[in-house]
Amino acid sequence: MSFLSPWFLAGIAAVALPLWLHLLQRYKRTPQPFSSLMFFERRLQASSKQRRLREFLLLAMRIALLVLLSLAFAQPFITHYSPVAGRRKLTVIAIDRSFSMRYGARLTEAKARAHALVRALGGGDLAQILAVDSHVEALTAPERERLPLHAAIDSLQATDHASSFGEFVRVLRVMDASSGMQLDVHFISDMQQTSMPPVFTDLVPGPHTKLSLYKVGSGNPPNWAVESVTAPARVYNGSPARVTAVLSGWHTPQAEKTVSLMLDGKVVASKSVTVPASGRAEVEFPSINIPYGQHRGEIRLSPGDQLPEDDGFLFSVQRSDPRKVLFLYANGRARDALYYKAAMESAPDAGLTVEPARLEQATVDDLSNFAFVVLDNPGELDAATARALCDYISKGGAVLLAAGSTTAQAGHVPLSGEAASFVHQPETVGDIDRGDAALAGVADFKNVQFSGYTLLSPKAGDRIVARFTAGAPLLIARSMGEGRMLIFASSLDGSENDFPLHTSFVPFVVQTGRYLAGEEDLPSNVIAGTPVELRRSRSAGTAADVIGPDGRHELNIREATSALSFNLDRDGFYEVQRAGGKRLLIAVDADRRESDLTAIPDETLALWRNTGSTSPLQTGAVERQSRSWSFWRYLLLAAFAVALVESIFGARYLKRGREVL
Amino acid sequence: MAIELTNRFVDPAVLASISSIDLVAKTVVDGFIAGLHRSPDFGFSQEFAEYRAYTPGDDLRHVDWNVYARTEKAYLKRYRGETNTTLMVLLDASASMGFGSGPVHKFDYARFLASALVYLAHLQRDSAGLIVFHDEIENFIHPSARQGQLMRLLHGIEAAALGKRTDYRRPFFELQQFLKRRGITVLISDFFEEPDAIVDTVLPLRFRGNELILFHVLDPAEIDPKLREPALLIDMETSEAIETSPEYAHRDYRQKIQAHVAALRTKAEGAGLDYFLLPTDRPLDRALREYFTIRQGRM
Repeated sequence: MSFLSPWFLAGIAAVALPLWLHLLQRYKRTPQPFSSLMFFERRLQASSKQRRLREFLLLAMRIALLVLLSLAFAQPFITHYSPVAGRRKLTVIAIDRSFSMRYGARLTEAKARAHALVRALGGGDLAQILAVDSHVEALTAPERERLPLHAAIDSLQATDHASSFGEFVRVLRVMDASSGMQLDVHFISDMQQTSMPPVFTDLVPGPHTKLSLYKVGSGNPPNWAVESVTAPARVYNGSPARVTAVLSGWHTPQAEKTVSLMLDGKVVASKSVTVPASGRAEVEFPSINIPYGQHRGEIRLSPGDQLPEDDGFLFSVQRSDPRKVLFLYANGRARDALYYKAAMESAPDAGLTVEPARLEQATVDDLSNFAFVVLDNPGELDAATARALCDYISKGGAVLLAAGSTTAQAGHVPLSGEAASFVHQPETVGDIDRGDAALAGVADFKNVQFSGYTLLSPKAGDRIVARFTAGAPLLIARSMGEGRMLIFASSLDGSENDFPLHTSFVPFVVQTGRYLAGEEDLPSNVIAGTPVELRRSRSAGTAADVIGPDGRHELNIREATSALSFNLDRDGFYEVQRAGGKRLLIAVDADRRESDLTAIPDETLALWRNTGSTSPLQTGAVERQSRSWSFWRYLLLAAFAVALVESIFGARYLKRGREVL
Repeated sequence: MAIELTNRFVDPAVLASISSIDLVAKTVVDGFIAGLHRSPDFGFSQEFAEYRAYTPGDDLRHVDWNVYARTEKAYLKRYRGETNTTLMVLLDASASMGFGSGPVHKFDYARFLASALVYLAHLQRDSAGLIVFHDEIENFIHPSARQGQLMRLLHGIEAAALGKRTDYRRPFFELQQFLKRRGITVLISDFFEEPDAIVDTVLPLRFRGNELILFHVLDPAEIDPKLREPALLIDMETSEAIETSPEYAHRDYRQKIQAHVAALRTKAEGAGLDYFLLPTDRPLDRALREYFTIRQGRM
């Protein structure tokens, strides 16, 4: 028996009080003179015995009451073990299908081992097939039939994902806790070192899991791979592209390799490189002329090895003219665009050119040709312009609104309508959220002075990317339909701040420009399993589309109209058309961690194997289950009952005493 | 006689506040007498009592010649004053008489009673004497009707002090030695003795023609002890200690004391003695009335 609040047991010391009252006080007798004792007898009277017995009963009840109360408040509980019905046994056959299983005949070997395990099952045994890579997929439900199990094993294909043993064991723990069965897990894998979790305890399965590990392949086979490729996703103005690649070898001797750069299947450049033993070599193609349009690039090394899938590395590149940015300024303030335009043009890699235009004369009927629109310190917009801009944003466009004093005079922010007022108070820049895509990589806005600022009121869902020192928002990011909007709480022309005179102005302009133009989500290549955003909200936009590496449409009609994202699971090129109409060519490469085929040491495997239940599993075996039973309520009830009896008994006792008097 | 006299007497507790024993006696007796009806059966000396036929040898001075003249028969005229008797009060002064649960202890009550009796005897011109005793005779005042006897008796009663144990044999032995004339003997005690022993001790006096009255003075707490809790009781005479319980005192003791009283009454009445139980919380009228009844019979 244990206690949750054992210090309440100190209350038992209170039994000293009734003991003192009953045993000590009771025998304090004051001698009383009496005329003659000739009618008294020198013997303990029977009534005294009864009285003494009653007093002892009363004392016992009072002591019991105090003890019961103390025990009840101490909240005792008993942990008892009761036999429970034995868990049924579930045989789980888990097969590693990660990218590394493509090496040689590992997957075939794993399947053969799995088939053998299925055949070795007893007649009524339940079994389930799991596929393991970066996540765990149940290929079958728990089955007694052998046929579905064999079919699931046969259908297993290697993926381009990395395997995660930590995720695998986490799923086993969930099954252990929720299935109510004894798990006899057979895991067949190449046991890659890179699949291990950072903490070994993540490999400990549940208490009802017996883990058997089967390693396919042997030793640490050599493998070369193109580990990474750095290539621009877009090139502009006819400038050549610079492409670099890193070649790696694991457990490999030094070797001469030929590295070829291919565009759309054609070799446009080739180089020989010496890859050091178990080392890395970098190859650079400094000047590759990229034709207009989107192209499928690949860096491939030769000769290949037993894992040819990582001998090539895909990337996408697009050559296009710089995209235009419409800078709208108020009448008479043509110089407003000077700083912004100069800053943007100082970064030609951004692929953006600024076209200033007077707000009153600008043609806003068709803004789809512009990467985004800048509204510098606008006043009240006419209805047609505001409607056109809102429509542009909702369809995937973007606007940078610099809300200066003129905007504040209008009393509200154009396009969004929230209240705005100008604060005539010098300010500096405080916190910047560099984790936000709008200002990713931008340095501090040191020493930037603002003579005043527009006090903005963020809406629900807004992200405050930067703040003034006093805490007021400086830059607010907002999603509107499929588009984006950035609201800057000052002007961009240097009239209300000295921001354009600081070096931090250029990265601010470039990064916000790239964010608004949607360039930040256009990498030349991604790792398999990376999700791509199809739409920003379910309620708006047209149908999205994804065409996989094999040329098939990956989305059904429902997904095309409602899916927010899509996982790029396979190695190859995906053509993605977002709901806003933007088309992307995304190169997907297998996780190169899988190229390191170094196996887990045998001693580590033995350690992992021993983390599971080591006793042989017995179907229907009786096991003991511990249960904690807290019975303080019963003690309290007993104390109440004793108190009741003591009250009745004590009242009768006292009444009898009064009758005697 | 159906006269309710209870209210005519002063409460013993009030009597206890009176310091002078003679004043106590006078208060008690005067109150008692004031409540009596004038009756031919009760009177005092020099009052006519009866006629009796003359017999030779009678004193001729007592012949009523008026009756003789009318009837030619000689009758003697008798007066009550001529029926004077001797009252002997035996007052128990043992230690147990000092017990009292209220303002009046048994010994106080006994002294009030004794003083009232001797005062009443004095009013009737009876001789009165006193023996104060415990295990020894503390004071002995011979009976007399002379002038000053009352004050001697009252002083003897007032000066009486509690002694040790009770021993009835000594005072009654002494009494038998000098009491030649028949009279009334009053024994005031709590009688914590076996009834047989008490009656056997006092019975010889009765054989000599004495009227013997036993006034049994008990405190209410002795008749019905009220204990709230078990108590350690100390015998006032022997200093013996005994522990008792309220239940015992309430049931067993009461039965025993009642049996003792009943036995004493039975034994006394069987031996021709008069017995009266006098709890100390009651007025003294019964004692005085009893004395009067006996006194009348002695005339």
